[in-house]
Amino acid sequence: MAGFTQRLPPPRTALLRSITDPRSTEVLDRGLVLWFPAPRSFSGEDSVEFHIHGGPAVVTAVLQALGSVPGLRPAEAGEFTRRAFQAGKLGLTEVEGLGDLIHAETEAQRRQALRQMSGELGRLYQDWSDRLKRCLAHVEAFIDFSEDELIEDGVLNRVDVSVSDLQAEIERHLKDERRGERLRSGVQVVIAGATNAGKSSLLNKLCQRPAAIVSPIAGTTRDVVETALDLGGFPVLLSDTAGLRDSSDLVEREGVRRARERVEQADLTLVVVDSAHLPSEVDRAAAFLREHLRSVLPDTDRCLLVLNKADLLPEKQRQKLDTELRGVSGLPAVRLISCQTNEGLKAFLTVLHSSVKTLCGDPLFGAPTLTQARHRAHLQRCAAALAQYQRYRDTDLALAAEGVRLAVTSLGRITGRVGAEEILDIIFKDFCIGK
Amino acid sequence: MLRKKLPFLHSLLSPVSRHVGHLTGHQYDVIVVGGGHAGTEAAAAAARVGAETLLITQKIHTIGALSCNPSLGGVGKGQLVKEVDALDGLCGRAGDWAGIHFSILNRRKGPAVWGPRAQLDRQRYRDFIQSELLSTPRLTMVEGSVEELLVTEPNPEEPGHHRVTGIRLANGSHAISARSVVLTTGTFLSGSLFVGQTTSPGGRIGDAPSSAGLSHTLRERLGLRTGRLRTGTPPRIVKDSVDLSLAKLHLPDSHPTPFSFLNTHTHCKPEEQLPCYLTFTTPGVERVVRESLQLNCHIQQDTKGPRYCPSIESRVLRFPGRSHQVWLEPEGVTSDLLYPQGLSMTMPPDIQLRLIREIPPMRRAEIHTPGYGVQYDFVCPTQLSPALQVKSTQGLFLAGQINGTTGYEEAAAQGLWAGANAARSALSMPTVTLSRTESYIGVLIDDLVSRGVTEPYRMFTSRAEFRTSLRPDNADLRLTPKGFEEVGCVSSVRYQESLRVRNSLQDALTALQALFLSTSSWKKKLPSVPISETKSTLLTGLDLLQYNDVTFEMLASAFPESLSSFMEFAQRLKIEAVYKPHCDLNKKEIERIQREENMSLPQDIDYFSLPVSLSDEVREILDRVRPSTLGAATRLEGITPAAVVNLLNYVRVTEKKKETHRNQRQQEAQRDEELCANSASLPQ
Repeated sequence: MAGFTQRLPPPRTALLRSITDPRSTEVLDRGLVLWFPAPRSFSGEDSVEFHIHGGPAVVTAVLQALGSVPGLRPAEAGEFTRRAFQAGKLGLTEVEGLGDLIHAETEAQRRQALRQMSGELGRLYQDWSDRLKRCLAHVEAFIDFSEDELIEDGVLNRVDVSVSDLQAEIERHLKDERRGERLRSGVQVVIAGATNAGKSSLLNKLCQRPAAIVSPIAGTTRDVVETALDLGGFPVLLSDTAGLRDSSDLVEREGVRRARERVEQADLTLVVVDSAHLPSEVDRAAAFLREHLRSVLPDTDRCLLVLNKADLLPEKQRQKLDTELRGVSGLPAVRLISCQTNEGLKAFLTVLHSSVKTLCGDPLFGAPTLTQARHRAHLQRCAAALAQYQRYRDTDLALAAEGVRLAVTSLGRITGRVGAEEILDIIFKDFCIGK
Repeated sequence: MLRKKLPFLHSLLSPVSRHVGHLTGHQYDVIVVGGGHAGTEAAAAAARVGAETLLITQKIHTIGALSCNPSLGGVGKGQLVKEVDALDGLCGRAGDWAGIHFSILNRRKGPAVWGPRAQLDRQRYRDFIQSELLSTPRLTMVEGSVEELLVTEPNPEEPGHHRVTGIRLANGSHAISARSVVLTTGTFLSGSLFVGQTTSPGGRIGDAPSSAGLSHTLRERLGLRTGRLRTGTPPRIVKDSVDLSLAKLHLPDSHPTPFSFLNTHTHCKPEEQLPCYLTFTTPGVERVVRESLQLNCHIQQDTKGPRYCPSIESRVLRFPGRSHQVWLEPEGVTSDLLYPQGLSMTMPPDIQLRLIREIPPMRRAEIHTPGYGVQYDFVCPTQLSPALQVKSTQGLFLAGQINGTTGYEEAAAQGLWAGANAARSALSMPTVTLSRTESYIGVLIDDLVSRGVTEPYRMFTSRAEFRTSLRPDNADLRLTPKGFEEVGCVSSVRYQESLRVRNSLQDALTALQALFLSTSSWKKKLPSVPISETKSTLLTGLDLLQYNDVTFEMLASAFPESLSSFMEFAQRLKIEAVYKPHCDLNKKEIERIQREENMSLPQDIDYFSLPVSLSDEVREILDRVRPSTLGAATRLEGITPAAVVNLLNYVRVTEKKKETHRNQRQQEAQRDEELCANSASLPQ
């Protein structure tokens, strides 16, 4: 952070500063920084205040950067107030109702956590927590009992495997930052293709209103038309782009450039093709589409092929195409639709929904909250603690176990407290301890 | 320090025990009831603190007897022995004197969880304890059975609150008065012995049962909640009848490590140590257990026994079809017996014989004394303060199995702490507490008084949150200065020694940190160490010592001028260096807990009428457990953060009120004095 690496700003003075991430040195925001040396601060301890822009992305980025500073952790419910109280900073009148405040805070948090916990994410964390507790119990059993009891050496090897699995899973979970971002700002879905393929019609169908001008004239859409929509609970930012063709028109050329730029940045591209342009021999269609895709976008990983104007094809060819193009190598999912008759639209929407869902990953609905940033911090701590296990595994099992303990405590702050008795219960269930 | 000569104990002891009558009417500061591990430590600690102390036991010659296993220490338990020693207790030095097989358990698992342990010679252990107590000033021992605990009628202003005034002995009606009484009755409180289908009153085979009067006073007069627990002991085997060639030889450490910080070597020479033997149960053992179940009263009852020290019956019933370990341990240098660790059993003696003969080395073995089970009363320890004083009875302290624990070391630790506090209370000094952040003893006591027990409580290292800071190697640094300065239970000789050690360690760490070299210079000095050269940073000697392959000896030979004088502490310095970063991390959390523990909750709070916002559930928990500090309250299950803040608020308000009240009184007193002075100086 600005104040950390350089000189501390003068106490109790608001200064405009760039807030940078200490890891990447990336500038996250420009905001006010206030420094309150102890004891003249709210909690009586050294404090720093960051006044930053309220956008969720900025807040999350700053919280994440703070979480990467060693020794820094998110405050527990009501911790600031409690510390202030302990330091004698709050008078008795101010303290009245403090308990209620904290109660409300924890209640809200509990409800919030519960909401998140009941989904897939909750099950994931609970599963990690259970596995970690078991690891800890087995390491503790090995420490406390293996000299007198029959606890095979294999126990530790199994813990090794579990710990590295967990570490990898948690790190993978943490790394997938784009998912969270997609959830915050919406999945970027771009409609692209040749002129007059029906891109704007598709946009209007998807957002169920005439957001883009539709005309039979090729090149009607010249700029990017954006619209936000909710696709089965997932935020989607849908963009219609200018049809891709070489043009001498300066405005249209700029439109095409922007279209290509959008396609580059897209999370998902819907490549729209006019079915009437398909070769009449169905078996040549795949090769034609492959060729066509290459001209629209660099890689075919994240796109869907939409064959519009299906109503213009004879029924027989339509059916043949449908079976022929299913699961062809080198081609993404292909759907025949008609914006005119709504044919195939429902099936297409299902495919689109599942693609968006995959891109967003976990069903973390709603706006980003502090709780999420807190989760992230605890998970980071958890992963780091597991690294400590690996580091000391062969030289000092007490320090290695400390790593697993820290990991359990960190995760416990998300899923609930873990006590020594619970660990002992697992030990006595899993091993015959007795001399 | 161990070269003292043991006196002829019986000639010295008999006069003491004959003259009970002289004690009548005598006022003692502290009376300790019981002569086991808790009682002996309690009596010795009370006397060290400065109290005139009387130890009452049924038989003087069983003082310091090892009723069960002939061993001391182990993982978790060894930590307790080191801490008792750091507070100048007896068991560490007794172990060094009586040990005949020393080993550090968990040697390869990191110094924080090393478990110093020794097999003991029963006779030598008892001799040491008795001789130590005989030479302790202010300590008298007497044979007798306590019939009744004498307490005052409850103060009408504080219903249910009593004060201890002494005890009454069974033979005759001798009342002996004392300001504090420490009860360490072990398994004798309403104890019953179980062998097969027979049950008889008693706490240990061969000893008379304790009188029913004591349990009556505790339950009926003082209204204390009690529970019942069980334990057991294996049969003792005639050594000559065992074919040890069929068991696996287990050798002790070649260099025995003493328990005590004052000892540099053990009484037993390394080469004189005795081995142990390991063998295993067979399917025949399980068959015998199953066939004899209906002849086994003890095992049929559902009284809670320990999960970690179960009888062979519970082991084969809980984990059938397995082969279980049995350790054959020597009982002493001259003893003809073996102790089969792992074969605690309560079936009829003839079936016990059948069972042990199912184990190959014991095919033709003979039993000297059969195993048996004991069931006994314990007092729910949540009724105690962290000083181990009964909250409702001023001057009454409890330690050992009476608090629901099991094990010599757990008993010794509580005994020492209860004895020291009983003395302090009798001498009108405030009682003292040990935090779970500074010692295993603190963990033990905090677990007991704030959580209570549901099965016999035993120490494990996993119970200590700050295990990496509470190591066996640094128990003296953690506790000896406190023991001298705040408790008064440590001799000045030990205190001076601990200061010397502390200062030397500090000097050595400073010297290590003063060695400030670049990685390339270190590489030149220590060519065998794989120092990564990618980072061209400066490293201190302390950093280097954290490397796996670097020992203090290596650094000392590279820098003899600054380090060679600290060779005595080579191992301790290595451990300090490796653990320092982790202990530094622990420090913050420790400080937070200590702050909360410094806020005491008044013991007389009526939680049901407290004018703060607490749920009924929380009130009920607080009323039942009555945590003595805010810290203890936060650790209770079911206590919410909001409840903690409300309690904190209450404590602050009452403290403030008290302070104002005190100030007012002081001012009034001052005014009165001034008035008196003024009137005195007035012209007549």
